[in-house]
Amino acid sequence: MSVLGFILAQCLSALSQAAILFFIACGLTLIFGIMRIVNFAHGVIFMLGAYVGYTTVAVTGSFLLSLIVAPIVVGAVGMAFERIFLRHLYGRRDGGAYLLLTFGLAVVLSELIRIIWGAQPLSAGIPDFLRGIVIILDQPFPLYRLFLIALGLAAAIAVWQFLERTRAGLLIRAVSQNSEMVHALGTDVDLVRTGVFGLGCAMAALGGVLAAPLVTAFLGMGTTVVIDAFVIVIIGGMGSFLGSLIGSILVAFVQVLGAYYFQDLALAFMYFLMLAVLVIRPGGLLGKED
Amino acid sequence: MPLLECKGLVRRFGALVAVDAVDMSLEAGKIRAVIGPNGAGKSTVFNLITSVLKPTAGEVVFAGENITGLPVHVVAQKGIARTFQLCHVFPALTARENVRIAAQARDDRRWRFVGGGGVLNRSAAVADEALEHLRLTRFANVAAAMLSHGDQRLLEVAMAIAQKPRLLMLDEPTQGLSLEETDRAVQILKGMLSVGHLSVLLVEHDMEVVFKLADDITVLHRGRVIADGPPAAVRANAEVRSAYLGGSE
Amino acid sequence: MNWKLGFAVTAGVCALLPFAVPQYSLTILIEALIFGLFAMSLDLMVGYCRLYSFGHAAAYGLGAYSTALILTHLALPLPIGIVLAVTATILTAIPIAWICTRSTGVSFAMLTLAFAQLGYAMLFRFRDITGGSDGIVGIPRPPGPFGMTWFQSKIGYYYLVLGCLLGSYLLCRAIVRSPFGAVLSGIRENEAKTIALGYNTRAYKIATVVLAYGFGGLAGALYAGFAGFASPELFFWLVSGRVLIMVVVGGAGTLIGPIIGGVFFVFVEHELSQVTDLWPLIFGSIFIAFVMFAPEGIWGILTTRFRARPEAPGSAGGKETSDAAA
Repeated sequence: MSVLGFILAQCLSALSQAAILFFIACGLTLIFGIMRIVNFAHGVIFMLGAYVGYTTVAVTGSFLLSLIVAPIVVGAVGMAFERIFLRHLYGRRDGGAYLLLTFGLAVVLSELIRIIWGAQPLSAGIPDFLRGIVIILDQPFPLYRLFLIALGLAAAIAVWQFLERTRAGLLIRAVSQNSEMVHALGTDVDLVRTGVFGLGCAMAALGGVLAAPLVTAFLGMGTTVVIDAFVIVIIGGMGSFLGSLIGSILVAFVQVLGAYYFQDLALAFMYFLMLAVLVIRPGGLLGKED
Repeated sequence: MPLLECKGLVRRFGALVAVDAVDMSLEAGKIRAVIGPNGAGKSTVFNLITSVLKPTAGEVVFAGENITGLPVHVVAQKGIARTFQLCHVFPALTARENVRIAAQARDDRRWRFVGGGGVLNRSAAVADEALEHLRLTRFANVAAAMLSHGDQRLLEVAMAIAQKPRLLMLDEPTQGLSLEETDRAVQILKGMLSVGHLSVLLVEHDMEVVFKLADDITVLHRGRVIADGPPAAVRANAEVRSAYLGGSE
Repeated sequence: MNWKLGFAVTAGVCALLPFAVPQYSLTILIEALIFGLFAMSLDLMVGYCRLYSFGHAAAYGLGAYSTALILTHLALPLPIGIVLAVTATILTAIPIAWICTRSTGVSFAMLTLAFAQLGYAMLFRFRDITGGSDGIVGIPRPPGPFGMTWFQSKIGYYYLVLGCLLGSYLLCRAIVRSPFGAVLSGIRENEAKTIALGYNTRAYKIATVVLAYGFGGLAGALYAGFAGFASPELFFWLVSGRVLIMVVVGGAGTLIGPIIGGVFFVFVEHELSQVTDLWPLIFGSIFIAFVMFAPEGIWGILTTRFRARPEAPGSAGGKETSDAAA
């Protein structure tokens, strides 16, 4: 076993974890950029994605299909929630209302998941065509994780190009900087908001689908993840797409290293990281501030 | 020794120099007005003095003590009270309670979490007095949010004087006030100043008010002091004229 | 003032309840009062200081586990055990409060959640002490001091809980009407202004959080003594969620509202859970409805919309304040 191989394996492991984190954190930061709210329900949305993905696979037998169906379904749920509930809170003096509302959503969704799918963890396992080991520098490495890295990279590029090159992306960036101006120019800002909220939820759901084969879909998977996503967004800057990418990679490496060296305290390690970040930068922000 | 001295205050926001080597001093018992076009840095200077912003360079000395960069509440406790450009009150609380909380801030026993009747009564008395001064007594039991904009501004001033400050800093107190309200405010301010041992630093756009009240004027333009002196001198200053008064005086 | 009358009547009615209701209802009643106390403790943070906590379960869990450990390892009387547990909770809360109050808004909420999650994780890490997922069982109710045994029976325990709730309410009421409480309302209304007036708001917030943990810990301690066991679920985020819901639906910032919310919640939960599995969903939906349309909560609605004498608009409403005019 070569040292280089070992290091590479750890790095790839971290990168595959970063991919999943990126899906969630990117969604969270996009939502914040455009709506100036932190979607507390994001973790449960991720969880919903995992469960919907599981059912899709159970029904159709196709993992690839679940990668498409889950984000769409969950994205739609997100958009519905934004339209029906969140929209009414714009302009309220008290920012706490958002917090409570997205929290309420988290509770309701959590319960719905429990009612529909039951309390037992569910997993369809890694799809057959993605099972297997790849040998890299005589280190075995799971194919599925390589798939995650590839997908994460593709998604990062796709979102980046979307934001930079397309008209919709331009609109999104404009609204997140100055929504009033964009509104004055004739764009339906409400529509943009709904769309972005849906997009953010869809991305988180995709993360859930991808994570499920590794960790199984279980109740409570959302809570840890929402804290992770929050830490990432704080580090990278609220509202910054690039920040969410960098932050995901950073946090993933810390998690992987932490799990390796502090096995016992792996769970606690994440929380210490979060405490450290929030303590050092309590306002937290490098990107767009509120 | 002046009550307040700003020495070489500088504040940068990235590449933008909002306040550039500003020197200013205020003698006890005097009123100094700080004027200048929009964006000249007036409110920033206020924020630097009260420590809401930390200066990039320079010092703030109050009553001989260097207060640069101290926490905001510590600076306030030293005897500096301030009003804000965007009106800051406690909207859901009554006018009286607003002022009472301000008065309570100077009480040594303000931390009492049970009882504390003495503190409450003392501060209530000070509050009533301040409301009286600002002719707001009739609004004592009305929620601050219900008051007109002008009255809210006066309420803010009442809160400031209830703190029994040595230095009162007013940031555009007449902004948004009608002519009568402005007149009333000036009357009240003049009345207060003639009675108490109060020193005032005033940011104002309304030149009439400035020339009626101020002993000295500092003129800022693009973050720098371009004139400093009694009203007559400032009025006559050519540079000030062109930058601010529009040369039409 | 007629609040004293209302209080006396309520206390009297509650004191007589055990004789009017069947035994099994008494169990629910005790739980309801404990939750009422728990909810009121959170109200100090949420309603009076606008510090939204998603991790108040930590206070509950700390109180419960402290009591469990103290009573199972030391031969101390129950009341002493509870007092010590509350003290332990308060001491633990101080660094937690110090760290959490470094942030505001969402960051604050996330930090409180993180601490609760941390507590949850720690329970499994130190399973030798805490019993891991099984928790600690067989918590006794040792008699004393002075040979007191009245709290060992169910009805006696009811009076213990009732006494703690009423006493805590009186204490909280005094706190929010004190100079300290006035500063809290200032922080709630406009923190920047409060700081500009010369108040060290950070210190006030820390104190508020610690107090909230103290009363929350008391609730947890009473629960452990009542149920006889402490388990990790007490730290779970859904517990934090339930109590937050109770506070908002009951009426944040009124003390009474959350107590009612807590009591009401336990009863309705008990009734509904026998009928349907959907009750958490129903509660979540009710919560959302209140956040959107009636943020002042049940008690807020009752006190502002049904007042016989119109108060000065916006002043106090149902809220307890230190308004010296009262």
